[in-house]
Amino acid sequence: MPSDIKLRAEVQRYDPSSDAAPRYETYEVAGKDNWRVLDVIRSIYENQCGDLAYQFACRAGRCGTCGVKVNGVPVLACQERCKPRMRIEPLTPFPVLRDLVVDRSEVEARYEKHGLAPKRKTPYAGGPESIAPQLAEELCRMDSCLACMVCVSGCPAVAERAFDGPAFMLKLRHMAKHPADTANRLKQAIEGGMLECFGCDLCTQLCPADLSPAQAIREFRRDLVFGGGRGHD
Amino acid sequence: MTKALLPRNTTRQAEGMSYGEVARILHRVSGAVIVLFVLVHMMVQAVWHVPAFAAAKAAAPWLKPLQEQNWIHAILFFAIAFHTFYGLKLLLGDLGIRIHYRTAFWSIVSVSILVGLREVLRYAGI
Repeated sequence: MPSDIKLRAEVQRYDPSSDAAPRYETYEVAGKDNWRVLDVIRSIYENQCGDLAYQFACRAGRCGTCGVKVNGVPVLACQERCKPRMRIEPLTPFPVLRDLVVDRSEVEARYEKHGLAPKRKTPYAGGPESIAPQLAEELCRMDSCLACMVCVSGCPAVAERAFDGPAFMLKLRHMAKHPADTANRLKQAIEGGMLECFGCDLCTQLCPADLSPAQAIREFRRDLVFGGGRGHD
Repeated sequence: MTKALLPRNTTRQAEGMSYGEVARILHRVSGAVIVLFVLVHMMVQAVWHVPAFAAAKAAAPWLKPLQEQNWIHAILFFAIAFHTFYGLKLLLGDLGIRIHYRTAFWSIVSVSILVGLREVLRYAGI
């Protein structure tokens, strides 16, 4: 049985249209020890602070919209177990729209820039195409990326260098493995800053979908070293 | 890659250690320790062996006892071992070889501690 606990949450409040800088407001919440961070945020919104801006959709770890930083670590709010003391902030390095909501325009623009649909030599004929079952399973798993940007927010290379981020490298690798795709994804990955990755695997540790963007980058690098992969333009 | 089990029951990401972050910082710090040690080592050797620095040698009677501190050498050897093995791990990564971040971190730290400890024991005559 879940037991009652008192939680103390410091939430970053910031409205760029009226505030000069972000500030932290502290809220005391009476909750249960099995609450997720999102439950705490919802409780604050419903009982103490009706103008708190936050975002979520599915509450089941599938939509990837509720990403926040808890005590400096990017997590999915709907999946992360609450802690007695929490500092809740929006994901970095994205511009804040308000409070815990970040502007994902740049993220969407980058996805669009990379053209993450198979680029075919001949038009799609329609109907199912033959694919090895093992490859299909692997592609399906890679396609389960939530685009939550938790990995991008946690990546130290994104913070220090010109690097798009692990999530984009994973999607590019997904396309590079797709049998119908003929684009030069390795070149795109290099242009996206793939060589700036530190290889620290923090993205793998943080990924809420148990994917490994770092492995996707390693495979790209292996292709670069040994000349593998598709080299078309 | 391991299979995703969705929806998840719960995560505790904010409680655990960020292995990659700690390893990355240790890699940088160990590199700085090695460079600093080599720099200091060159200066000390110059003080000991170059006649022009005889006055400096006479003014630093604490130099010899300082050089005999085994913990300094233990830190140096830990730094060398950690920097080498973590660097090799990164090189293997560039060849597409995956070593799990947690396994790699604890293995490298353990071996590096043993290498550092060996210096302490060597100074102790064991």
